[in-house]
Amino acid sequence: MMLQIKPILSALRRHKAGALLIGLQIALTLAIVCNALFIIQQRVAHLSAPSGIDEANLLVIQNDWANKWTTQETDVQVRTDLVALRQLPGVHDAVASNAYPMRGSGWDQFITLTPDQTTPTGDASVYLGDEHFLDTLGVRLVAGRNFRPDEVHPIGNRENVMSPVTIVTKTLADKLFPDGEALGKSIYAMTSTPTVIVGIVDVLQTQSLANWQMKHAYESLIWPLRAASGTGIYYILRAKPGQLAAVRKEAVKTLYAQNRMRIINNDGGVLDYTQIRQRAYDSDYGMAILMGIVCAVLLAITAAGIVGLTSFWVSQRRKQIGVRRALGATRGDILGYFMTENLLISLGGVLLGVVLAIAMNLWLVTRFEMHRLSMFYVLAGVLLLLLLGQGAVLAPAIRASKVSPVEATRSV
Amino acid sequence: MLKMTHLAKVYRTEVVETYALRDFNIDVKEGEFVAVTGPSGSGKTTFLTIAGLLETFSGGQYHLDGIEVSQLNDNARSKIRNEKIGFIFQAFNLIPDLNVFDNVEVPLRYRGMKAAERKQRIMDALERVGLASRAKHYPAELSGGQQQRVAIARALAGSPRLLLADEPTGNLDTQMARGVMELLEEIHREGATIVMVTHDPELAARAQRNVHIIDGQVVDLAEDPRFHHAVHEARTGTPA
Repeated sequence: MMLQIKPILSALRRHKAGALLIGLQIALTLAIVCNALFIIQQRVAHLSAPSGIDEANLLVIQNDWANKWTTQETDVQVRTDLVALRQLPGVHDAVASNAYPMRGSGWDQFITLTPDQTTPTGDASVYLGDEHFLDTLGVRLVAGRNFRPDEVHPIGNRENVMSPVTIVTKTLADKLFPDGEALGKSIYAMTSTPTVIVGIVDVLQTQSLANWQMKHAYESLIWPLRAASGTGIYYILRAKPGQLAAVRKEAVKTLYAQNRMRIINNDGGVLDYTQIRQRAYDSDYGMAILMGIVCAVLLAITAAGIVGLTSFWVSQRRKQIGVRRALGATRGDILGYFMTENLLISLGGVLLGVVLAIAMNLWLVTRFEMHRLSMFYVLAGVLLLLLLGQGAVLAPAIRASKVSPVEATRSV
Repeated sequence: MLKMTHLAKVYRTEVVETYALRDFNIDVKEGEFVAVTGPSGSGKTTFLTIAGLLETFSGGQYHLDGIEVSQLNDNARSKIRNEKIGFIFQAFNLIPDLNVFDNVEVPLRYRGMKAAERKQRIMDALERVGLASRAKHYPAELSGGQQQRVAIARALAGSPRLLLADEPTGNLDTQMARGVMELLEEIHREGATIVMVTHDPELAARAQRNVHIIDGQVVDLAEDPRFHHAVHEARTGTPA
C-alpha cells in the first residue's frame, strides 16, 4: 500500500462541500464531546468526593416538634432523647445537630480574622453539636482537643449564641492561616466576639453541594451548641458495625416512646447515607447520563455522516476505482485511499475541533464558573474522533476495494 | 508476448452457461500491432479484459510475457497490470478530479516510483503526445482527442511491454480519430506491442495483422462461413 496524500488532497479540493461538511461535523462533535466528557468527569468526581464521615453506619432522623416549646423546654427533651438513643444496644453514639453533610443546603458563615474586617477570609459551613459530634460522625481529630461538656450550650431557632471555642476542618484552618498554626488562634463570625480554635479535624464535607460552593466544599466548623430549635432538629446516629438496620427500626420507636409530640416523616424523615448521597447527587447523576447520551448520539450521527458520504463517494467513483485497479492499484491501495481520505478530512476537523473545544470551555469557564478543560480530554477526544472516522469509513472502503478492475471497461 | 491457448470464459447463472470465449487461441509476438475485430457480442471486450488481467478466465492457458497468469493472486495480477500493461480505453477513463499531470502519475505512484523519476517520465510521456503544456489542465478542460492523448501518455509513462487499446477512437470524430491512430502507429514503429480491439474495418486495416472473433472464437475469415453469414446479416438485416 502506498501513500496517496497529494492526489487525495487534489481530489478533495474538487469535492469541497462534502469534505467541509464532514470536517465541520467532526469539529463540532469534538468540541461538544470534549466538554461533555469533561463535565461528566467533574460530576463523577463530585459524586465520589469524600465526606470524611462514617457513612456506612450513619442514620439521620429529621425530628420536627408538634408543640410550641421554649428553647429550654426543647433542650430538656433533646437531652432526654439523646440519652435514650445512646442507650439503644446497636447505637455507637448520637448527637443533635442543625444539619448533616450533603444535606443540600445549610448554615453558611463568613469568617474574618479581625473584628473590623469587612471582606471575609473564609466561608465556612456551620455544624452544631455537643462533645459527641466528632465520635458520632466518625470525624478524625488531627490536632487540639474535642469540646468539653461544660462548653456546650443549647441554641434555639434564630438565636444569636456565640461560642468562645470552635473546631475547624484542616482545609478551613489552612485557608484562614496559610502561613502558620491555626490552633489557639481567634476567628470572628462577622461579630466582635472572638472564637478560639481548639481543635482541627481531618475532613468534614459541607452541607451544600452547589457548584458555586465547590471550592469551599471542605471548609467547615463546629460550634459546641446543642441544637434545640423549637421547630425541629436532626438526630444523627452512628450504629455499631452491622447494626444500622436494627437501629433504624428501634430509633424512631424510642423517640416516640420519650414523647409523642413530634413528627418524623415515614417517607424521608429517616435516611441512611446511601439515600442521602442519592438525593444529593441526583441531578449530577442525571446530568452525567444526559451528557453521556448527548455524546453517544452526536458520535453516532457523525459516524453515520461519514458512512453516508463515503458510501456515496464510493458509488459515485465506482468507475474511477475500476480504472485505478486497472492501472495497478491493489485492493489495499483502494482501501488505503479511502482510509487516508477520511483521515485527512478528520485531521482537518479535529484541528478546528480543538480550537472550538477550548473556545467553548473558555466561554463555560467565564459564564458558568466551570473548570478549565484538561488537555487530556482534548487529546482523548481527538483520538476518539479519529478512530470513529476510521471505523466508520472501514465498511464503505472495504466495499470500494472489492470493485473489480473490469469496471474500467464498462461503458457507464 | 501474449499467448492464449484453448482459453475459455464462461458466465454462469443458475439456469444457463454462456461461453463468451471458447477454445480461444491467439499468439501476439513482441512488436506486433494486432487489430482484433468482430461483431458486437462476439467476445472482443471479454478477450481484452482477460488479456489485460482485468478478469479471470475459466479454462485454458494464458501466457503474458512468458508468465502463466492463471494461478496469480489479485495482488500479483495488479502488479503485472501496473508494470507490463498500458491501457487505452474507449471512454478515455481519466480521473476527473485530477489534472493531466496527476492522471499520468497514477500508475507510476502505484509502482512506488520516486517523485523525481515520476516527474521525468510524466513530462516525457506528455511531450510524446504533444500535451506537455496542458499538464495543469483538468480533463474537462480538454477536447476528446486531447483526453485520449493524455490516456495514451498515461499508458506509455510506465513503459509497458504491451499496449491494450479498447476502441481507442470510438468516442472521437474522424479528425481526432486520425490523430490518435497516427500516434498509435508511431508508437508501434518505435517498437511497442499493441493489441487494439475495434469494430472499425478502416482502423483495423491500418494494423499489421487482423484477428477476427466470432462467437467467442478466433476464425480465419476466408474459410469460415460464419463470417460470411455475419457480413450478410449486417448488410441485409436478415439471417443468411
